[in-house]
This record gives sequence, structure tokens and C-alpha cells, in this order.
Amino acid sequence: MKILIVEDEKELSNNIVKYLQSENYLCETAADCKTAWEKIDGFDYDCILLDVSLPDGNGLSLLEDLKKNGKTDGVIIISARDSITDRIRGLDLGADDYLVKPFHLSELNARVSAVIRRRRFNGQNIIVLNEITIDLQAKVVLIQNNPIELTRKEYDLLLFLATNKNRVISKNAIAEHLLGTQVDFLDNFDFIYTHIKNLKKKLIQAGGADNIKSLYGTGYKFEVRV
Amino acid sequence: MKLLNKTVRSYLMGSFIILLVIVPIFYFVVKTVLLHAVDKSLTLQLKDIRSNLPSVHSSSELDTWAKLDKDIRLEKSSGYFKDTISTRYIKRNDKDNDPDPVRQLDASIRVEGNFYRLIISISLVENEDLLTSIVLVQTLLLILLMAGILWINRKISKKLWMPFYSTLSIIRKYELNKHEAIEFIETKTEEFNDLNKNLELLLNRNHTIYLSQKEFTENAAHEMQTPLAIFQGQLENLMQTAPLTEEQAQLIDHLGNNIQRLIRLNRSLLMMAKIENDEFQPTERVNVSEVASRFTSSYLSFIRKKEIQLFEQYPQEIWIQANRSLIEVLISNLVSNAVRYNISGGQIQIETGSGFLHIKNTGNPHRLSEDKIYERFSRQGNHQEGVGLGLAMVRRICEMYNFPLKYHYEEGIHAFRIDFPFNSSD
Repeated sequence: MKILIVEDEKELSNNIVKYLQSENYLCETAADCKTAWEKIDGFDYDCILLDVSLPDGNGLSLLEDLKKNGKTDGVIIISARDSITDRIRGLDLGADDYLVKPFHLSELNARVSAVIRRRRFNGQNIIVLNEITIDLQAKVVLIQNNPIELTRKEYDLLLFLATNKNRVISKNAIAEHLLGTQVDFLDNFDFIYTHIKNLKKKLIQAGGADNIKSLYGTGYKFEVRV
Repeated sequence: MKLLNKTVRSYLMGSFIILLVIVPIFYFVVKTVLLHAVDKSLTLQLKDIRSNLPSVHSSSELDTWAKLDKDIRLEKSSGYFKDTISTRYIKRNDKDNDPDPVRQLDASIRVEGNFYRLIISISLVENEDLLTSIVLVQTLLLILLMAGILWINRKISKKLWMPFYSTLSIIRKYELNKHEAIEFIETKTEEFNDLNKNLELLLNRNHTIYLSQKEFTENAAHEMQTPLAIFQGQLENLMQTAPLTEEQAQLIDHLGNNIQRLIRLNRSLLMMAKIENDEFQPTERVNVSEVASRFTSSYLSFIRKKEIQLFEQYPQEIWIQANRSLIEVLISNLVSNAVRYNISGGQIQIETGSGFLHIKNTGNPHRLSEDKIYERFSRQGNHQEGVGLGLAMVRRICEMYNFPLKYHYEEGIHAFRIDFPFNSSD
């Protein structure tokens, strides 16, 4: 799966590439509109990460051109600007998602895989990790064909861990994913600990293995056995 | 004291003093003039008599003459003496307690070798009456004149200072953050025009500085987004490196927490700058009760964790015309404060009434200083969690929409009340 990162901050795009590569995505970068368009014109990408302010123009005009040319690449706008109008404008132009800088790479990864899944499988798809099956359409989790009852937060948490499988996700990233940016009780991580604990308990009780590992209590990882 | 009253008062005091000094002086001057006239008439009469003396040949003739004129008396005298004029008080009878003043001329005349004392007198009673009338009339005139001047002065002052008062009312209404073009009324007074011109310059300069300051905050916060994003990304990649010792993991964790804090602070700064820069223009109908209940439910897990009892009452929906994002910021800040600064096992009470929202919570048993709570980065107590901009934002948003915001403390319960003056509760 191919991903194009259009971002003029070299270090930031390097960070993104490094994180996404381990998901076996093929990443390419472009630091300005011109290079980006050359690449978009020549290849098809599963997902394009598009910065809005680029040295030689606006990322949104690139998006316009893309849609005018009938291209169907998935697009996630990554912008330092956070206003409803910008967001609406980006989505109106046909972007699939809008992510405000600074973001967690795990969050970006979750959004990228959501976009890819939607495009590839029309949203009807299933994630299988070890003995756990997640039906994204029905929002149901099965272990050995037995559905387990999860709260919405637990389901979101499991999906977030699953899309970032084999990677340590910081508590901050989990908190922001579950609560959004408006709810910022950062110093109290008991909340996340409780959710993780409950999720683990439910999975183990349903006959699953202890897949969720903690990194000395600083972050969590869903381990997939090869 | 008002400027107008101040001038009038000074005028009154000055006039009173002048009146006090002038009236006695006037009295004495008139009195002297009148007396002088009387003396002159006495002297004239004496001169007349003296010129007629050669035609008098016997003392009996003189007596007859004296008898004809009541004001003239004759007495034998031993020799010649100098003419004198003096004021005497003559009783009309023995019982008279109020003797009449009389001006009297004593002159020495010689008829056929005998010396006589000639006394000519003029009553001053009429003079005194005249004097009194003159002084009274004059005083009255003076008082009237002064009152007139005072009145005219008041009128003129009022008119003269009118541009000043209009300037004052314009400045009073002026708000730096709601800069509207200031237009002072052109006047014919140079000084006021000068004042207005300089005020305009000053206000415009202040506004320019204010604008660049605001712009700076927003730009600075914006510029910080990218390095923060890079930092956070690198930290996440660092977390994936293996093997990690516990010590390393803890260090990364602490870095992560602090970068997160920095990100939140930056986000709040940006939000604050955007509010200040009026970037939340479009308005729509927003249901305050709905926003409030939505935010309490998003904080529910924290509320449960702290074993806080939540009482929500929305008997009346409050619809307001406002920017949805701003109302969300407003309410989420108040709700999150109510949770954050609450005590374990405490209470939160949220209710709406006709045109108001009340958020009460238990917390520190101290009244918060109302001057300080809305200040940026002012923390009371030793809470480290908040960024310190929440209530500053709340107040700013309330100011923007002219919603009165009140803080109240009673027996361990902190309460915030927002009134929505122009709501339609339906």
C-alpha cells in the first residue's frame, strides 16, 4: 500500500515515514506542491497526507486539482490550522479526514488505516488479530466466534490498539484518542488504566490470550503472534 | 465636584467677598458726599448772611431775622472765634431716646461792635433716610447683577464644555478590543480640537500595538505547532525502539507528559488568541442545556472516578444565538473546572433556569478571589493540572456576548452563574 506524505517540514515527514513504514506501507515524500503533483499525476496512492501550508502554494489547491482530475486517492489533511471553517473547507473539497498538528503518530496511523480500509473494502471488513476478530461494520468483537460485550470506549480502545499492533502507544495518545482534545485531564491516567484493565479482563474471560502488554506502565501494546 | 459647580462656587464665593467689601465702602462714600453737600449749603448760607450783615444796624433787627428762620439761632458771644462745622444729636424732647442728627455751623459775626455766635443747623434725618435707600437699592442691584453674571457664566460654561463632555462619553464607551473608528465632534475651540486629535492618535496607536500583540501571540503559538509535532513524533518513534529499560521508558514517559502539557498550553494560547482576534464570527442557534449535558457526559468517567454526585436539572431549554465552538469552550471549561477542582465524594450541580445557567461544585473550603480567578495563569491553591487559561477564556467569551458572569462562594460550594439576557426559552 502506497502513501504519499506532502509536508515541507523534513523532520516531521521523516517521523511519519518511520512510524508508518513498520505497518508495511510504502511511503514517499514531497516537500512542495510541484513535486507532490508530479508524484500524484504519475502514480496512484492509497492515501495522501497533505499539509496545507506549503512553500509554493496551498495544499488545498492540490486537493482541488486532484478531484478535478478524477483521482480517487484517499486524502488526510494535516494542518496546523484548527478552525471549523478550515476543517469544513477541507472536507468539502473531498478530503477523507482532517488532523490538526501536533498529533500522535499512532492517531495518524489509525486514521490512515481507516481511510485505506474504507477505500479498499468499502468499509466492509474484518480485522483478525490472533484469536480476536473485529467486525468493523457491525462493530462487534468475536473470540472464537463468540461475541464479547464491550463498552464503546473499550471497543474504541481495542481498535486503536489493534491498528497500532506491535507498537507501544503512550497513555497520552490513548487518552486523546478516547476523549478528544477538549477533555484534557492528563495527569490522571487512572482512567486509562481502568479501561485497559477492564478490556483485558473481558478478553481473557472470553478465552483470549493476554495480548495487551504494558511497557512499565508508560504505554500499551497489542502483541500479535507471528 | 463637577467642573461646572466648581466655577460657579468660586464665582459665588468671590462675589460674596466683593459684596462684603463694596457695600460698606459704598456707604461711607455716599455718606461723605451727602455730608459734603450739606456743609456746602451751610457755608453758602453763612456767606449769604455775612454779605447781608452790613444792612443790619441793630441787634433787635438781628433777632427778628433769626426768629424768621427756624434753623438759625443767635447767641451773644464774648469774642471772635473760628467757624466750625460739626454733627450734633439733638433731642426733640426729654423723653426722646433717638436724638436726631443735625449738622451745625458755628460762626462768629459782629454787629455794631458786639460779637454774636451764629448757629445754622440742618437736620440730617432726611439725609440718613436717603443714604439708607441708596445703599439698599445699590446692594440689591449688585446682587442682581452678580446673579445674572453667575447665570450667564453657567450657561456659557455649559456650552463651552459641551465638546469636552462629548469626548468624555466617547472615551468612556471605548474598548480596546472592540475598536470602532472613533469620531470626535469637531468644535470651534482650539484646545478641544487639539485634545481630540491627540486622543485619537493615542487610541489608534494603542490599537495598533494591541493588534500586533494579538497577532504575535497567534503567530507564535502557530509557529510552535510544528516543532511540537516533530518532538512528539520522535518521542513516539523512540518508544518503539527495543529493548527499552524501565528507566528509559520512564524518561520517555515524563518527556511525553511534559510535551503534552506544552501542547495543551499552546492550544489554549492559540484558542485565547483566536477568541481575542474575533475569529469565531458565524453564529447559530445553540441550545445551552444540550451542550452542558453533552459535556457532563463526556466527563462522566472522571466524575465517577472521584465519586462525585452529579445533579443535572434542565427544566428549561436555553437557546442563544452564538458561535457554537465558543459556547462549547465556555461550558466545557466550567464543567471541567467543576470536576477538576472538586473533592472526592463531592457534588456538582448544574441547572438551567429562565435565561441562566448555574454550575455549582464542592471544592476547596476557601472563597476564591474574584479579581484573580479570571486572570491568565493565576492559579489559586496548589493545583498543577490546569493550564490556567480556562476561566480567562470563559470571561472573555461572556464579555463578547455580554453575558453577565458571576462567581459566588458559600460554605464550601463554588458557584458560577451565567445569564443569557436575550434568550428565547422555548
